[in-house]
Amino acid sequence: MKNIIEVKNLVKTYKNLVAVDNLSFSVKEGEILGLLGPNGSGKSTTINCLLSLLKYDKGTIKIFGKEMKPDSYDIKAKIGVVFQDVAVFDELTVYENIDYFCGLYIKDKVTRKQYIEDAISLVGLDDFRNFYPKKLSGGLLRRLNIACGIAHKPKLVFLDEPTVAVDPQSRNNILDGIKKLRDDGATIIYTTHYMEEVEILCDRIIILDKGKIIASGTADELKKLAGPKQKVVIGPTLNDVFLELTGKELRD
Amino acid sequence: MFFHNFKYAVKTLVKNKALVFWTFAFPIILGSLFTLAFSDLENGEKLQIINIAIVENSELDKNKSLKTAFDTLSIANDEKQIFSTKYVDKETAETLLNNNEIIGFLELTETEPKISVKSNGIEQTVFKNAVEEINAASKIINDLAEQEIKTQIENGNFEINYEKIYQDAAEKVQTEEATFIDNSSEHLSYTMIEFYTLIAMACLYGGMLGAVAVNQNLANMSSKGKRVSVSPAHKATLILSSALAGYLVQTIGLIILFIYTIFVLGANYGDNLPLIILLAFAGSFAGLTFGIAIATVIKANDNIKTGIVVAVTMTGCFFAGMMGPQIKYFIDQTAPIVNAINPANLITDGFYALYYYDTPNRYLGNLVGLLAMSLVFITISYFSLRRQKYDSL
Repeated sequence: MKNIIEVKNLVKTYKNLVAVDNLSFSVKEGEILGLLGPNGSGKSTTINCLLSLLKYDKGTIKIFGKEMKPDSYDIKAKIGVVFQDVAVFDELTVYENIDYFCGLYIKDKVTRKQYIEDAISLVGLDDFRNFYPKKLSGGLLRRLNIACGIAHKPKLVFLDEPTVAVDPQSRNNILDGIKKLRDDGATIIYTTHYMEEVEILCDRIIILDKGKIIASGTADELKKLAGPKQKVVIGPTLNDVFLELTGKELRD
Repeated sequence: MFFHNFKYAVKTLVKNKALVFWTFAFPIILGSLFTLAFSDLENGEKLQIINIAIVENSELDKNKSLKTAFDTLSIANDEKQIFSTKYVDKETAETLLNNNEIIGFLELTETEPKISVKSNGIEQTVFKNAVEEINAASKIINDLAEQEIKTQIENGNFEINYEKIYQDAAEKVQTEEATFIDNSSEHLSYTMIEFYTLIAMACLYGGMLGAVAVNQNLANMSSKGKRVSVSPAHKATLILSSALAGYLVQTIGLIILFIYTIFVLGANYGDNLPLIILLAFAGSFAGLTFGIAIATVIKANDNIKTGIVVAVTMTGCFFAGMMGPQIKYFIDQTAPIVNAINPANLITDGFYALYYYDTPNRYLGNLVGLLAMSLVFITISYFSLRRQKYDSL
């Protein structure tokens, strides 16, 4: 399978702080890549660099085989992004919000209408299409946030902690939606703090800390990295691996 | 893409309750309050002619222009009538003042005119201002009249109608320069002055629409901006369509305000309404571009940016005379640079200029000033928006 994303020697600094330190990785077509790391490890900065929102100091980023630049509109047309912060208009209904963001990608109204219906159905917002965001619960709002990011059926999807602060039912619904996206052929980069989500969803995992890749592989491969203590007791979970690798110190 | 973004930008702006309040409702509420506050005052003033006296003496005989001016302002039942003037000796004038039959009297001396009043109030202020303005204009009128008399004598006309010459000179001065007569016209009543600052305020509140509309497209300013920035939509198209949406909403707000002030509050803009609307649209454009500049330069959320626009607008309107034309006059006298760069003042000053001056120079100056200011704001925004990537988000 061909590489959809190729990152080589990416460096991003904020004054004296190295946020991304010589990062290199690739993502294959149809793959779900989990990007794990404690707060401040450089996950969001990496994604913002990949999306050409942030300047970076060194390195190259290729998406769909082409260098990613702010004016790479042909590449952008194939990307969908769900940011950590809910980014919807309070003044628009669920349907209008999805229509607005989908309309930035899809000009044809008939196609767009069908795509919106598909997105609403995917995230389970059929009964809330005429609701305004302020009337939605936290879980429903997160689902709307996702629908706005993926309604145009992108080939590459960035999901930055899409399940933060949602109830188990909504989380389950969101994870099912992501699996459907993968089944439809989308390549996904998924960042989260929830290890069980990564374990369920991701084909491959990269663990970042202090801007560097400290481990990468499948969930099973990573589990082998854990120390013997966890293995003896109950067998290591991905959470154990994560804490062993990144430490138990609290982060911002 | 342009119309898609334009349509939704209009929708989000008109459904934003805070914006609708400040740009649509607040000027209308304030206009209604002004009307309530000033209508009684004005009704009283319109009916009440100010009784004054002028002491007859040799100095008055010399100053024909002053007498002509007061006669013009004392023609009974004339729409320009402000005073009812009695020409009496000084003793009678003092008696009339003591008996409260007049509010004051004027005595011309060899040096300065002397005004005597018993108390201070609006009528006394009007009397003093009239004397000051007439006295200032008198010198010019006397020069013009003397020149005309000299010309007529040189042309062999010895049957000179002095009174007509002084009246003609007075009229000439009045049509060329600021005059007390225009001050008393209904277009410059307290309520109308408040309406003008109200329109200026409504124009500059367009800045909120500009700030909010553009903020939604900037990745470093809002999460929605981040989402929009990663789409294939061109930044220039998004910014332009959002700004145009802001201007459209602002224009609708202004039209509603004009309709409300004319048909509900009974404002009379006179023959200058088209020019007032033109200046309002220019002011509205300046307000919008100011808001866009704020949106692009200051890294903050919508609420903070809206707050900045409100604070700057209200301060500007205060200096431009919203709480009374005396403040504008005071700023004009003591810190003219403040009002020269105050867009609210450029708008209100342009409105006043339509009634103070027959020539359009000052009005055009204010119009050009607003457009120049808009250009500065656009330039600031352009350099800020040129960035395609950010150092931080």
